[in-house]
Amino acid sequence: MKRIVFFALASVLLLSAAAASAQNKDRRKSFSSWENYEITTEKVGVDGTKFVKVWGFGKNADAAVMAAKKNAVHACIFRGIPGNATAMATPPICSNPDALSANEDYFTNFFAAGGPYLSYITMTTDGIPSGTDKRKVKGGYKVGIYVQVMYDNLKRKLEADGIVRKLSSGF
Amino acid sequence: MKKALILAASLLLACQITGWSQAKKPVIMVVPSDSWCQRNGFVQTVNQSGTTVTMSDYARAMRENADMRTVVSAMGDFMAKNDFPIQSLEQELKRLQTEDAELSMMTGKKSGGEIEETPLERLRRSAKADIILDMDYEIHRIGPKRQVSFNLQAVDAYSSKIISGNTGVGSDSSAPMTTLLEEAVLSFKDNFLSGLQHHFDDLFANGREISITLLRYDSCPIDFEEEFEVNGQDAELAEIIEAWVADNSKEGRFNTAAKSANRIRFNQVRIPLYGKNLNGRDVAIDAEAFARPLVKMLKKAPYNLVVGSAPKGLGEVWITIGDK
Repeated sequence: MKRIVFFALASVLLLSAAAASAQNKDRRKSFSSWENYEITTEKVGVDGTKFVKVWGFGKNADAAVMAAKKNAVHACIFRGIPGNATAMATPPICSNPDALSANEDYFTNFFAAGGPYLSYITMTTDGIPSGTDKRKVKGGYKVGIYVQVMYDNLKRKLEADGIVRKLSSGF
Repeated sequence: MKKALILAASLLLACQITGWSQAKKPVIMVVPSDSWCQRNGFVQTVNQSGTTVTMSDYARAMRENADMRTVVSAMGDFMAKNDFPIQSLEQELKRLQTEDAELSMMTGKKSGGEIEETPLERLRRSAKADIILDMDYEIHRIGPKRQVSFNLQAVDAYSSKIISGNTGVGSDSSAPMTTLLEEAVLSFKDNFLSGLQHHFDDLFANGREISITLLRYDSCPIDFEEEFEVNGQDAELAEIIEAWVADNSKEGRFNTAAKSANRIRFNQVRIPLYGKNLNGRDVAIDAEAFARPLVKMLKKAPYNLVVGSAPKGLGEVWITIGDK
């Protein structure tokens, strides 16, 4: 009888551990996923730039800030930025939904740690954000930062590298 | 040495081919919308065949309204940065004025003759664009602050289709009017460019959209309902022309908008961007170049018609039968 109770308890424990591990895996996946970040337009940026608030996840606040920067550039290229009451939405630079998979090597290098994407970001907040913009979540931090993306420069770079067509191409 | 020569020759050939296969660049112009001109008093009344018509006075609007000039400059700036400079309405109107003055003064050195110009030719010399950026904005007062609401439409001048539409409201601020207008332009800039890019992508994938209008002068001995024998079958001239358009348009895409004894109009005709010139070279073509073989066909037997062809920009052509 004791043995049966012991086995039952052990299997319950094992099952719940496996479920928790799967949940953690899912969470970690969602942290690093391109599909899971929030970005909003703050106001109309100066010529050639976008002024946005973007969120990022990371094991620590520094990693979350870096992820947020990456997300801001990613949004400009692939997702577009939603508008607000006084600024129109910004369309993605790559209108082709398959652009990421079609140029996988290029973008892997572009978004690598310390990669070229960083030259298109200007932080408008110094240091690690605090208060409601820095939230402790299970498995790390969720951080919101205000950044200025050099949208026109980014577009020119992708045009020069042949990833997107120039407006005047073909004419 | 031989290898170097072959390489140089092939490079030259490649450059030439690339050069020839460039599509014709559409002319883009920012034009104040009629409602903006009306609201701001830039209108003029013109007597047209006994009827008084109110028309927008663009020349005065561009001369006297600094705000509109700011908007046009800001738009011209970002379009130029995209290698797509827009044509200035103000300068084009000035050029036409100077051209008018010069034409009226020109006389032949020996004969003393004057430059001949029909009223129709004169009318066709007016300012034209292939894509019209119809700009409208309104300034609202919110207490001590001001806010700009804007509406920009990029309209294809021939199909009258809206290529890109942008409306929005700027932030309320006590900043100078120029700042608010520049902010409005920056707000819609990327969305507008994206709409334009989408239109150009469609143009390269599916061809240019044009209109062809065929008109009959009363001096023409036959009309478009006259029957001819083609491939052993009797068919009306209108049907024969329709078949030609179907055979030559891209994937047979066109629409017959009107068909009668005296007038045929085809719209949404998709034409390839490139064709061959007289020397067999690949060149960019427009509506007139596309319709040239049709004109030639109508001139030959069994039709033997006097045919005239008049382009109306890149995307529309009028073909007349019975006279030129």
